[in-house]
Amino acid sequence: MAPVEMVTPATEAEALAELRRGPPEEVAIVAGGTDLILDLEERRLSPRRLLSLRRLPWHDHRWDDGRLTIGSAEPLASLEADPEVGRQYPALAQAIAAVGGPALRRQATVGGNLGRSAPASDLTPVLLVLDAEAELLGPAGARALPVDRFLRASRETTLEAHELIRSVRLPEPRPSSAYLWQRVRPANDISQVGVAAAYGAADRRWRLSLGGAPPRPVLVPEAAAELHGPRPKPAEVEAAALALSSHPALVSDRRASDEHRRRIASVLCLRALEAAVDRPAEVP
Amino acid sequence: MSGTNPAFRVNGRPVPLGEVPGDEVLLDTLRWRLGLRGTKEGCRSGGCGACTVLVDGRGRLSCLSLTRELEGTEVTTIEGASDDPVGRVVQDAFLEEVAFQCGYCTPGFVMAVTGVLREGGRLASTAELLRHLGGNLCRCTGYVAIARAVERARERLP
Amino acid sequence: MNGHARPDGPSKVRGEVEFGTDLSVPGMRWGALVLAPLSHARIRSVDLSAARALPSVTAIGAAEVHGLVGASGEPERTPFPLGEVVYRSQPVAAVAAPTLEAAREAARAVRLDLEELPAVAGLETVFPEWPGPEAKRSPHVAAHVLARRGDIARALAGAETVVAETYRTGAVQQVPLEPHACVAEVTGDRWTVRTSTQSPFGVREDVSAILGLPQEAIEVQGTWVGGGFGGKGASLLEPYALLLAKAACAPVRLALSYREEFLLGRSTLPMVVRLETGVRGGRIVARRVRLLLDVGTSLPGRDFATGYSIGFLLGPYRTETFEVEGYAVRTNKPPFGPHRAPLAPQAAFVAESHLAHVARAVGVDPEAFRAAHLWETGGTTSLGQPVGPFGLPAAVQAARARAAEWRGRLPPGHGVGIGLGFWSTNTGAGGEARLRLGTRELVIEQGEREIGSGSVLVGLAEVASRRTGVPFDRVRVEYHGTSDAPFDSGVYGSRTVGALGRAVDEAAVAVLVTVGQRLGASGTVTVGVDGDRLVARAGDRRAAVEELLTDAERAAGGIVGEGRHYGASAGIDETLVVDGSFYPYQDFTGAAHVAEVAVDPATGGVRVVRYAAFHDIGVVLHPGLARGQVEGGVAMGLGAALTEEATWSEDARLTNPGLVDYRLPRLGDVPPIEVTFVEGYPGAGPFGAKGIGEPPIIPVPAAVAAAVEAAAGVHLTELPLSPERVARAVKGGRTCGAGDAAPAR
Repeated sequence: MAPVEMVTPATEAEALAELRRGPPEEVAIVAGGTDLILDLEERRLSPRRLLSLRRLPWHDHRWDDGRLTIGSAEPLASLEADPEVGRQYPALAQAIAAVGGPALRRQATVGGNLGRSAPASDLTPVLLVLDAEAELLGPAGARALPVDRFLRASRETTLEAHELIRSVRLPEPRPSSAYLWQRVRPANDISQVGVAAAYGAADRRWRLSLGGAPPRPVLVPEAAAELHGPRPKPAEVEAAALALSSHPALVSDRRASDEHRRRIASVLCLRALEAAVDRPAEVP
Repeated sequence: MSGTNPAFRVNGRPVPLGEVPGDEVLLDTLRWRLGLRGTKEGCRSGGCGACTVLVDGRGRLSCLSLTRELEGTEVTTIEGASDDPVGRVVQDAFLEEVAFQCGYCTPGFVMAVTGVLREGGRLASTAELLRHLGGNLCRCTGYVAIARAVERARERLP
Repeated sequence: MNGHARPDGPSKVRGEVEFGTDLSVPGMRWGALVLAPLSHARIRSVDLSAARALPSVTAIGAAEVHGLVGASGEPERTPFPLGEVVYRSQPVAAVAAPTLEAAREAARAVRLDLEELPAVAGLETVFPEWPGPEAKRSPHVAAHVLARRGDIARALAGAETVVAETYRTGAVQQVPLEPHACVAEVTGDRWTVRTSTQSPFGVREDVSAILGLPQEAIEVQGTWVGGGFGGKGASLLEPYALLLAKAACAPVRLALSYREEFLLGRSTLPMVVRLETGVRGGRIVARRVRLLLDVGTSLPGRDFATGYSIGFLLGPYRTETFEVEGYAVRTNKPPFGPHRAPLAPQAAFVAESHLAHVARAVGVDPEAFRAAHLWETGGTTSLGQPVGPFGLPAAVQAARARAAEWRGRLPPGHGVGIGLGFWSTNTGAGGEARLRLGTRELVIEQGEREIGSGSVLVGLAEVASRRTGVPFDRVRVEYHGTSDAPFDSGVYGSRTVGALGRAVDEAAVAVLVTVGQRLGASGTVTVGVDGDRLVARAGDRRAAVEELLTDAERAAGGIVGEGRHYGASAGIDETLVVDGSFYPYQDFTGAAHVAEVAVDPATGGVRVVRYAAFHDIGVVLHPGLARGQVEGGVAMGLGAALTEEATWSEDARLTNPGLVDYRLPRLGDVPPIEVTFVEGYPGAGPFGAKGIGEPPIIPVPAAVAAAVEAAAGVHLTELPLSPERVARAVKGGRTCGAGDAAPAR
C-alpha cells in the first residue's frame, strides 16, 4: 500500500484543483489535524492524500468595524490571545477556553470544529447565537451560509464534495453574551450540556442555544422569545429557562440522563443570562 | 519552500522530511524514526499530554501533530530540554521538589512547563501557570509536588 | 526535610529511562491482539488464512499453541479460548508483522465465526432479587463466604433500633499512564520476555502455568514501569508475546493501545452491599453485612476478592455479634483484578457512611459513635485477628481537631467530613535479598524494579543504610532478572519495605555478623565511610572493609549476606467460618482523613476545597517519599470518589474505554493536601515501618461523602458521587433517614 501523500497548495485555486483531482474519499483536509488524526487512527477515513491548508491565507482573523472574520485554519490559541475577542464576543472567548487544553488549542481551528460537526462542540452553540456565517469556497466561487443551515448532524454538514470552508463571519459584535457548560470535570472533557446566550443590539432580540446532545447544537427560538429588551425581567428569564430545558434534544445517553440534562440546562440558562445581562449591550 | 527538500529541525539538528508519509505523527517520527524515545506515548488521543514537545518554543501534543505539517519549524524534545535555559531550570525544580514518581509523565510535564514559562514567564501567577497545565495527566503524584516545582521554576527564571 | 535524593531523579527528568513501551531490538516485529467483538459467544472457527496471506505476517490462535510450546498449560488458563468467548475483547488470536500498521491490518483480516450467546452484563442480571440460600450452588456464583459469631437474629430482635441500608459502588480502573508493553524472544528452549511489570517472578509463574513450560526455561526481565497500581501485578501480554516470538522466529513487541488498556483491564468491579446494624444504649449490638461482588469471568476457586473485602465492610470497629456473607458473581466482563488497595476505598465508603447514618438515627454524633467502637492497640478484630500496635485512634483524634478547626470558619455551601480506613500490610508469598558489602559500596541484589513510589530504590536502601550504618549514598539497589535474582512476590500490597525490606534487613544483619567475626570483636557492628572507603567498627576494633575480605570475597565483590522473609498469616478464628475462605489480614495500619468540599446544589457539582490526611505509619523512613504516596493516593481516591466509573451496556460492552469519558483527576481537581504521620505504633516491618502505598486511597471516598453530606444535607449511598447523583439527592430531598439507594444512572 503506497504511503499517504501530503500536498500543500500555495493558493486557493491550487487547493480547489487538488480537491477535484480524484474521488472525494481519497483526500482528507488537514486544518489543525486533531480530529483528522483520530479519524485516521480509528479508520473512519482512509485517504490516499492529505490536503494541507498550511500555506493558504486562512490563518488570521480580521476586524471590520467590530465585525469579526475568522480564517478557517486559524488556531484557537491565536483568537484566545486577542483581548478584543473577549470584549466584543465574550461568549466566543468562553467557548474557546472550553476546548481541550492550551496545547490542543494551538492546533484546533474553528473551521475544523465546524467541519467535524460534533454534537458536543463548544464552539457551535456560540456561533449559532452570534448568527455566524460559514464562507465556503468551491469551483463555482464563494458562498455564505448561516451556521445553523450549514450543520446537519454528527459528522454531517452541507459542505459539497469540492468545497472548502474558508472563513467564519460574525455579523455584529455581541458583548452581551455568555457561554456556560457543565461537565463532570472542568477541562479536557466533552460537554454534557452547554448553553449560549447573546443579545443582538441591531434587532434588539435575544438568541439562546443548547449544546451537548445529539444530533447537533440548536437554537431555541421559543426560549429566546420569552426575553424582551437588553435587561429581561426575572419572570422572563425563568420562562426562558423552562422553555430551554423542555427541548426534546435533551435526551438520556451514556454521559447523562435526560432528567439531569434538563436540570443543568435550566441552571446554565439562568446563569448565562445573568452573566450576559451583566455585560454591556453595545461596545462603548 | 516545500516540494524539493522539505525539512525541520529537532533539538537544533536538521531532519529531512522527504521520506516521511503524510499521515505520520510527530510522536512516531521522534520515537521510531529518530530513536528519540524520551517523549512518551500515552493515550495517543490528546488527553494525557505525555507526548508534549515544543514546536517553535510552544507546547504541542506530538501524538496529534502531523510531522509533514511541521516543515520549517523548530522542535524541542526532552532530549534537548537541558540545552534550553528555561528547560534546565524546570528540570532542576522537578528534581528538587521530587515532582515525579514513575517518571512516565515527566518528559511531557517538563516540556509543557517549559513552554508555559517561556510564554508567561514571571508575569503570570503560579495559579495561572497551573491552569495551562490541565492537559497533562499524572497518576502517581497527585500533582502536589508538580505544582511546587512549577512555583520553584517560576521563581528562578533566567 | 524531603529526605535522601532519589537516585532515579536525574534520568527521569531527562527522559532517559527505558519503559516497556520504549523497548526496541534489532529485527523486532510488532504484535497485535485479535479481540473478540462479542461478550459471550460460541467459537465456531478462527480463520487465520487471510491474515497469513499478508506479507511477513505471523498469525496464531488456539490451535497453534500446543505445537509451539510442545507442552500443555493448566486447562482453564489457556491463552486463547477453545470453545467460548466469555468477555468482550477477550484475545482470541494474535499476529505479528514488520510494522504496527501491518500488524493491525493483519489482525483485522482474521475471520471469526462466532455464535452469539446471551451475555450477563451485571449483578442485577444474575440476581434481580437478593439471593436466597440455594444461590451459592448457581453456576453464576464463583465463590461464597459466610462467617458469624453469636445469634444474629436474636441480637437484632433485641436491639432498640435497627438501621438497614443498601449501597452500590461502581467499577474503577487503574489507568497507568504507560499501557502494558513487552518484548519477547525465544532462542532454542530459552523463552525470554522483557516487560513492564510489578512482579517479574509472578509473570514467570503465570507464563509457566499458562503455556506449560518449566519455570527454569523462562527468563523475565522487568523494565522501568510507568505506573502499575495493581494492574501490572500479574502477567497479561507475556504469554501472547512469547508465542508470537516462537512462531515468528524473531523478537516480538506487544503493547496494548490505550483503548485496549481499558477494554482488557482487570480491576475493581461493581458491588452491592446490604447492611443491618442494631443499636442499644448507644452501642452497636449486632451487625449483618451481605455482599454481592461482580468478579467478571473469574474462575471458580480463584476468588480472593470476596473473603477479603468483606472484612473491610465491617470497618475498624468492634462487634461481638455479627454475620457476614458474600457472593462472588460471574459476569461477562474481564476477570476482577487488584486495584490500589483493592475494594478497600469502596468498602470504607460503605462502612463509614453506614455507621454515620446509624449514629444519626440514634441521635449520637457520628464521629463520637465511631470513635467509641474503634479498634485499639491490643484488641481483636471481629474475625479474631490480633490488632497489634494501632495508631488510628491517635490519628482520629488529630483529624477531629482539624475538622473542628475547619468547621469554625466555613463559608455557605461548604461542608467538612471525616473518613476512616484501615489496611493490612500482607507479605505476599515472601521475599529474599542478597547484600554484598564491598570496599566502597553496599549493594542490594534483588529482583524488583522501581514502579514509582521509591520503595525499591530508596526504601530498601534506607533499611540497609539504617541497619548497617553505611551512608545512604553508598547503598545501591541492583536489579536482577528472574534467572539470577533472589525470589520476591512483587511490588504490590504495600509490602515492599515491610516484607522484602525485612529480607534486606536480615541480610544486612548477616553481613554485620560476618564483619563482627572478622574484626574479632563483640558489640554492635557499624560500617561507616572514611574518604572513599567503607570502614567497619565494633567496640574498639576498626578496619577498612578491604582488609577484612577473603580472596574469594574480593573476587566476588564483597562480603555476602542473605535474608528471607516468608510471613505466617495471623490466624482467623476458624470456628467463626461457616463457608468459604477468608483472606487473613495482618499488621494493621489506619488513616483518618478530613475533607472540606463546596457543593453546587443546582448542578450537583462538588469541589474539594482542602484536605488533611493523618496516617499511622509506624516509622517514617523517608518523609518526602511517604508524603508523595499520601498525595498520590488521595488524588486517586478523589477520582474514585467523584468522577471515575467504568460502565457497561446491557450487552456487557464497556461504554467508556478512554480518557474522555473515564474521568481521571487533573491538576485543577486536587486541593492542597496536609499530610501528618503518626509514629510510635510500630508495625512488623523493619524499624517498625508499616506500608504506605495503599492506605492513602482508602478513606478518601468516605471523607468526601461525609463532607458532601454536611454541605448539602444529603445522604448518598452510591459511588461515585457524580453531579447527577448529588443533584438528584438534593432535588429529591434524600436526607438522612432515607433507606435504600436510588437506581444507578
